[in-house]
Amino acid sequence: MHEPFLKVDAVTKCFGGLTAVNNVSFQVQKGEIVGLLGPNGAGKTTLFNVISGYYAPTHGSITFSGRDISGMPPYKLAALGIGRTFQVVKPFAGLTVLENVLIAAFLRYPKRADAERHAWNILDKTGLTDRANVTAAGLTLAGRKRLEIGKALALEPTFLLLDEVVAGLNPTEADKTVELIMQLKNEGMTILIVEHIMRVIMNISDRLVVLNFGEKIAEGTPAEVSRNPLVIEAYLGEAAA
Amino acid sequence: MKNFTARQGVLAFVVLALVFLPLLSSDTFVLRVVTEAVMWVGLAIAFDVIAGYTGYLNFGHGAFFGLGAYTVGILMMKAELPFAVALPAGGAVAALAALIAGFPTLRLKGAYFAIATWALSRAIQQLALNMDITGGPDGMRLDAFLNPQFFYYLMLGAVGGTFLVLWYLLERAPFGLKLKAIREDEEGAKALGLNPTMLKMQSFILSAIPTGILGGIYAYWITFIDPSSTLGDLVSDQAVVMVVFGGMGTLFGPAIGALLIFAFKTVFWAYLSKFQLLYLIILGALIAVSVVFMPNGLWGTMLKRRNTVRREPEAP
Repeated sequence: MHEPFLKVDAVTKCFGGLTAVNNVSFQVQKGEIVGLLGPNGAGKTTLFNVISGYYAPTHGSITFSGRDISGMPPYKLAALGIGRTFQVVKPFAGLTVLENVLIAAFLRYPKRADAERHAWNILDKTGLTDRANVTAAGLTLAGRKRLEIGKALALEPTFLLLDEVVAGLNPTEADKTVELIMQLKNEGMTILIVEHIMRVIMNISDRLVVLNFGEKIAEGTPAEVSRNPLVIEAYLGEAAA
Repeated sequence: MKNFTARQGVLAFVVLALVFLPLLSSDTFVLRVVTEAVMWVGLAIAFDVIAGYTGYLNFGHGAFFGLGAYTVGILMMKAELPFAVALPAGGAVAALAALIAGFPTLRLKGAYFAIATWALSRAIQQLALNMDITGGPDGMRLDAFLNPQFFYYLMLGAVGGTFLVLWYLLERAPFGLKLKAIREDEEGAKALGLNPTMLKMQSFILSAIPTGILGGIYAYWITFIDPSSTLGDLVSDQAVVMVVFGGMGTLFGPAIGALLIFAFKTVFWAYLSKFQLLYLIILGALIAVSVVFMPNGLWGTMLKRRNTVRREPEAP
């Protein structure tokens, strides 16, 4: 792999005097699942928002498939093949589940009939078929998190950013979502995932990037990272390290 | 399916009745009232494009109507252009106004958008009151073309055409769903490849064009326009009331709301004109009650009832 699929290069994001992400660099190779880890307020979601175009980086750059995408708006990134979910789910509450997915499907399938066919496939894949005509407001949290993934998948992305899609689910639901993520990986999808549940993130990630107070403190395989004293300190305090 | 064909039947009957009305009744009062009712249907559905589908409550809708009316008035009376040229220009001026007003105001949300558009429309009214070319507070008189049938069919054609175009764009083409996505969650829509700024602007312009054209027809039909009749609060307020009462975010809802409220107004003013004050009180109370008890409006409530009867209970 000469050219990395995603290259985050010295990215800093400030809000006024607060530096939420400070000089973070890492790379994601094609077909990898990279986990983004860190205690609350470490800057994971801010970094997600910078990569997905919701914030422009204050310094640094982001390169996707060899193209500088820093500061590009989210809708252009969606067209380039970047799909994302939101930690605080953003369903179109008043519309049906099918319509929610259909809106995303229009990006690749401008004709309604094609888009509908594609949307039904996505619903099938995410296990929402029997909920198709329910309004999104009527879904359970698990359903809404699946819908988030479904909408992102309907964009036919090559790179998927998943922001806490497992947190808040019961173990059975969580397993189903993990299964879906592994299936996507087998199909060749590249994924960057933020997740608080260690059992999940340790198992599915090829590599981990750990943030604390906006800075990268560790990077490596799950086994390496879990032995890293800086990581243990960040999670359990100085004494434990 | 049975429900659907019944609806088609009613629709076909209404369309036929409207097309043949001038042959059935030679009463010019009836024709005049129906012409205006049809106009309000057009204004209400055009307003609903930005307000109901896109979620941006435009309290300056009347400004597009007034701009269309004044454009036709000025082009016909000062530039001596024919009506056929002046009318499309009325729609174009309204579209241009939406483009210019949209840049600053479409960034705002909720009540702020409503206040900003209301203020802009008041500013336009003040302009009309103070400029020479508009005749100031005295208004403008247009050369009369006394042919009620012509105006009836023109209004019917314009509103019917508007309805068909909007129905296709909003209910059949992807555009309508994209607008609803903006209404439901603008930030979430961006992640799905939608450009909210562009879509909101398109929606605003789509709402303005038919409104400007209807204003132009109104000016030539009534032959007298002044700042209070075409640029006052009335047009905006009435459109808001009709759409909220009928059901936002649909096309049939605002159309039904417009017809019912206009019928109520006409009956009231024709037979109970001594109690004009009461009309506004009843209208206000009706809106308050419908917002509280039917937030989806008349049509939305009917659809919901039908759907809940049909749909099987949800599993938990």
